[in-house]
This record gives sequence, C-alpha cells and structure tokens, in this order.
Amino acid sequence: MKKLTLAAIVGLGLMSGSALAASAWTGGDDLPTSPLACDGTPAAAVAKPYDGGVPTNPPDRKGKKITVVDVPKLIGIGYFNATSKGIAGAAAELGNVDAKTDGPTKANIDEQITFIDNYITSGVDGILFAANDPVAIAPVLKKALEKGINVVGYDANSTPDARQWFVNQAQFNGIAKSLVDNMAKEAGEDAGVAIVTSTFTTPNQARWIAEMAAYAAQCHPKMKWLETVEAQEDNNLSFNQATTLINKYGDDLKGIFGMTSVATPASAEAVTQAGKCGKIAVVGLATPNAMKPYVEKDCVKSVVLWNPVDLGYAAMQVLRAVADGTLQPGATSVKAGKLGDLQVINGSEILLGSPYTFTKENIGQFDF
Amino acid sequence: MSGAAFSPGRSNLQRFLSGYGQEIVVLLSIAALFAVVGAVNPRFLSDTNINSIFAGNAYIAIAAIGMSMIIMAGHIDVSVGALIGVIATIAGTLAVKGYPIWMAWSVPIIFAIAVNAAVGTLVAYTRIPSIVVTLGMLSILKGGLISATQGEWITNMPAEFMIAQMRPFGIPSAVWFMVALTIIAALFLRYTDFGRSIYAVGGNMEAARAAGINPERTVIGVFALHGLFAGIAGILFATQLQVIQSTVPPNLELTIITASVIGGVSILGGTGTVIGSTLAAILFACIGSALIFLNVSAYWLRAVLGLMILATVLADMVRRRRDK
Repeated sequence: MKKLTLAAIVGLGLMSGSALAASAWTGGDDLPTSPLACDGTPAAAVAKPYDGGVPTNPPDRKGKKITVVDVPKLIGIGYFNATSKGIAGAAAELGNVDAKTDGPTKANIDEQITFIDNYITSGVDGILFAANDPVAIAPVLKKALEKGINVVGYDANSTPDARQWFVNQAQFNGIAKSLVDNMAKEAGEDAGVAIVTSTFTTPNQARWIAEMAAYAAQCHPKMKWLETVEAQEDNNLSFNQATTLINKYGDDLKGIFGMTSVATPASAEAVTQAGKCGKIAVVGLATPNAMKPYVEKDCVKSVVLWNPVDLGYAAMQVLRAVADGTLQPGATSVKAGKLGDLQVINGSEILLGSPYTFTKENIGQFDF
Repeated sequence: MSGAAFSPGRSNLQRFLSGYGQEIVVLLSIAALFAVVGAVNPRFLSDTNINSIFAGNAYIAIAAIGMSMIIMAGHIDVSVGALIGVIATIAGTLAVKGYPIWMAWSVPIIFAIAVNAAVGTLVAYTRIPSIVVTLGMLSILKGGLISATQGEWITNMPAEFMIAQMRPFGIPSAVWFMVALTIIAALFLRYTDFGRSIYAVGGNMEAARAAGINPERTVIGVFALHGLFAGIAGILFATQLQVIQSTVPPNLELTIITASVIGGVSILGGTGTVIGSTLAAILFACIGSALIFLNVSAYWLRAVLGLMILATVLADMVRRRRDK
C-alpha cells in the first residue's frame, strides 16, 4: 500500500518537472504565422495559379436563366438550413436563378454522391456542395464538370480539381484577429487571459492559438496570456477546467478564450456558476444555439464564427459569376452582391470575409 | 471466504487497518495534495475551489458506488458511461418537452434500473461473462444515442430541472447526494443480508450457494442496484450544465471503474467498501484541479491514474498472498 503513496509522489514529481517547460501561449503550433493588420486591412493575396477544375464545353449561360441544386452534407439541421436560406436569398436577388436544396438526411458521403449523380442525370446548370469527404466526392463532381455543369463548393472543400471554386468561410488569422480584438474590447487592453482548448495538438485549434499569440503581440501587446488548458471535446471536463482556472487566478483572470464549440459554452457556464459574469469575459468559437442562454443573460458578449446565411449567399453569387463568365481563372476578386468584392485566395478559393460576431442583438436570428 | 473482512469480531486496530487500509491511503493522499498544493498556491484551499473539487466528480462517486457493488460481486460493467449519457439525454428531452419535472428525474432512473436488471439476468442465467454482455450493451447504448439525437445538443432546460445546480445550505446538491448515498450504501452492505450476500457471491459463488444464498438473484439485484446509482449519477450529470451533449464523456466508464479499484475494491471480487470508491473519486477531482494549479497538462491525470491502478492491484495481490 505504500506503493500507492509512492506512485502519487512520483506522479507529482513528474508534474513539477514538466511545469518548467512552459512557453508563451501554450497550445499553439510552430508553423509560421501571418497576423492581419491591426486595422483590418486585408492581407495581400499570395499569388498562386488557379488550381480548380474546368467544365468541358459548357453552354453559354451568360445572363440566361439557370437551374442550380445545392447538395449540403445533410439537410434538416439548423446550420445547413441557414446556408440554404442564403442561397435562396441570392437566387431571388439575382432573379435569373432557379435554386433548390436537396440532400441526405444524414451526413453520409455515399448518399450525397447518389444525390449529386441523380441531379447530373436530370440535367442542371450548376451544383453547389459542402462535401462529406473531400476525396470520395471528387469523381462525381468531375463527372459533373465533364457534362459542362458549373461546380462550386462551400463550407467543406473537395480536392481542388474536382470543382471550379470553393467559398472559404474563414481563415485562421481572420478568426484569431476577431477573437483577440473582441477580448481586448471587453476585458481591457491589459487583461490577463486564459485559453480552454481541445488538446495542444488538435490542428485547427493549435493554428488559431498560434495566430492569436502573433496577432496579440502585434496589436494588443499588453494582453497577458496566463495559461492554456486542455479539455478535449468534453463538456464536463471543459467546465471543471474553466472553473479551476477561475479559482486559481482569482481577480487576475479577466477573460477566457473558448477554442471549441464545446469549450466556449462550458467556460461561460463556469463563469456563470462562479458568479463572475461581467468580471470575466468569455470570447470564443461556438454555435449560436449553445450560447444563447449566456448571451441573453449578458454573461457573454461576443461569439465568433461565420455567418452561414452569408456563406450560402456568397456561394450562389460565385456560381452565377462563373456561369456568366465574369469570374475567370486568374481573377483576384469577385463581386458578390450585397457582400461586395470578395477576395480570391489559394488559387481557386474565395474568402467570405471577416468572421461574424454573434451578439445579443443578432443571435436570435440564427438557429444552429 | 474473503468476504470475512467484514465479519463481526475483528475489532482491534490492526484488523481495522487491514480492513480499511486502502481508504486510509486514499484519504492521506487527498490530505497530502491539499497540503502541498495549498502551500504552493493558497487559492487551492479557497472554499470555492474546495466546493468545485467535491462537486465536480460527485456523479462519478455515485456511479462508482454501484460499480463497486458490481465488482465486489465478481462482475464488471463497461457500459455505465454510455448508460449515463442515455439517461442524461432522456431526462433532458423529457424536461424540454414539458413533462413534469419529477417524471424527467424518475423515468430515466427507472429505465436505467430496467436496462441493468436485464443485463444482470443475462449474466446470471446464461453465464456469459459480464464484460461481454456489457460490452454489447455499450455498443447498443452508444449507437442508439447517436442515431436518436443525430448529434443535436439539448439546451433550454427549465431552471427547476437543474437539480445539480441547487445549493441547499450553500453546498452543491451533488455533494449532498454523494455523501448521503455513500453512507446509505455502506450501511446497506454491512448490515443487511442482501448486502452481505454480495460479498459472499463475489468471494466464492459455490460456497455462497452452499450457505443458502441464491447467487443468480443476488447478481440480478446487484445489477439493478447499480442501475439505480447510475441513474442518479446520470440525472446529476444532466443537470450540472446548461447543455447536454449527445455524446458521453470519453472514458467515463474507465474513470468510474478506476475509482472503485483505487478505492480498494478487489478486482477479483469479494472485498472492498463504497467509502473507498467515493474517496477515490474525490481524489481524482483533487488531482485534476492540482494539475492546473501546478501548471501541468491534464494528460498527466491519465498517467497518474494508471500508475495508481497498478499500485493498488499489486498491493491487493500482496495482501491476499500474505493473508493466506
């Protein structure tokens, strides 16, 4: 039984050993960062040749009425209801597009392929998609291109040569800027902040944290990073970790970044249950539905993500521009109706723009 | 028989220490952690942090009471984590759909008892090892949960449903449940015929049968009781936060089993107490909190728990050999 005590001591020894290896903003990766300008000037596009696909002998669709089908990952959930709403809105605004959304009720790649295949056979002019699998969806999309159909992706990409363009909802540096700017605004320029993430090695989260550290160093140099804790994608663990951070730092902690859609609501819950609403700001990535209780109680002021309605709207505008021939390989921007000019990045992707911040004023309009 | 650790007549200090040795070790570990981490950062000892430590793992402690009984009876249940996820989802769904709150609390508990009584019946009469039956149940519950919820979270639950967030006399209700259920279960195991028959069946099934105990009925009863504790744990789990995830916490069943084993329940069956498993669950919460206070990755928690399991099982083996 002494062994148990021994084990605990050994364990504690190991712990204090690794505590010495702390560095700035733990949880970020070592890849190069590209922080955006503090005032939001878009970064200069890195020239990269067009790497999208090309439809075979498409008919001249310029200004003509076209039929478009949108096949998202799945239908019937709030998120894709919102993109579908954006697509329908753009189609109505354009006036010369007949658009509809159809797809599997489960996020199943086989069913998604069948849907797309059937619409190719039935003869459509354009296909919009959000891929359940980037590689598996490629053959059926290439088949569509071979039939002269215009193909544009959004939300979830395919391999580039299987579609013409992809509307990218958010870049790492854009998300990072939005998170850090909102935190500085709510918690103060010299706030002590902590991060609740999934794991230190989860690729997206590690990228965001690295970009956040780089952007904060440049634009909010007084922001004091205290600690990053891991909480996997576990609700209760996230809550316990956030609660412990609050207990540990007391009044030195002014803000918590939630890096996942699980960590952000759980951190907000921890702040609520600790009675620290208004004293500790929670800014994070999350879906509106999970955050509504906290936003409505004024405990959380900004939830960062992108606007799926705008995403669908942009995808439809891009498809129309491709069909009209106004968006050609090599272009650096595209006109997307009320969203204005959107930037071309990475050869054949179109950036939706700055991330969207959900606030008390607008969160009620979203259901996903 | 090995259940004799609790037979009357062993009253001197040495007997007490050998009967409750593991509990004392766990208790001392908790005290040592409080002393060491409290010295490094006094905020560790603030009442809010102590409240968080006790409340954070209360549902694990309660589930570990049932799990301890299962292991004492010579069985195992690897489906309990999935069961807790299903209970939480049923309870949350009923609450959101506007059913009376008492139904949202009790229906899932009855469901848990029924599921586990069925598992117990299979284990008792078909003699299929419980690890196989509960592994099957794990897949059924986990798969069923994901298809039924489609990955959607449950939110907007009514405030009066959130029992784990209530604080009678300033202490979280989950802590009250943990303390009360641990005491009741400890008394039950020690002073009732059924309680003692659990040790007897786990120690030696045929000897128990010869002594007039019906091992099959005991096994079914133990599984049903385990369902009751898992059900209560599931309700506390469901009402701790404002959202219920459609997936269960990864490795929840392992954490619960680990609490039982580190609390001194012999993995070979026949001995152990529920006080030990509750203390062990508190110890885990303590370690988890201490890791943050000492700036250490939470992944060490798994490593430390693993070490502790090995040490505990080893100590159990040594003790058994020495007792022979």
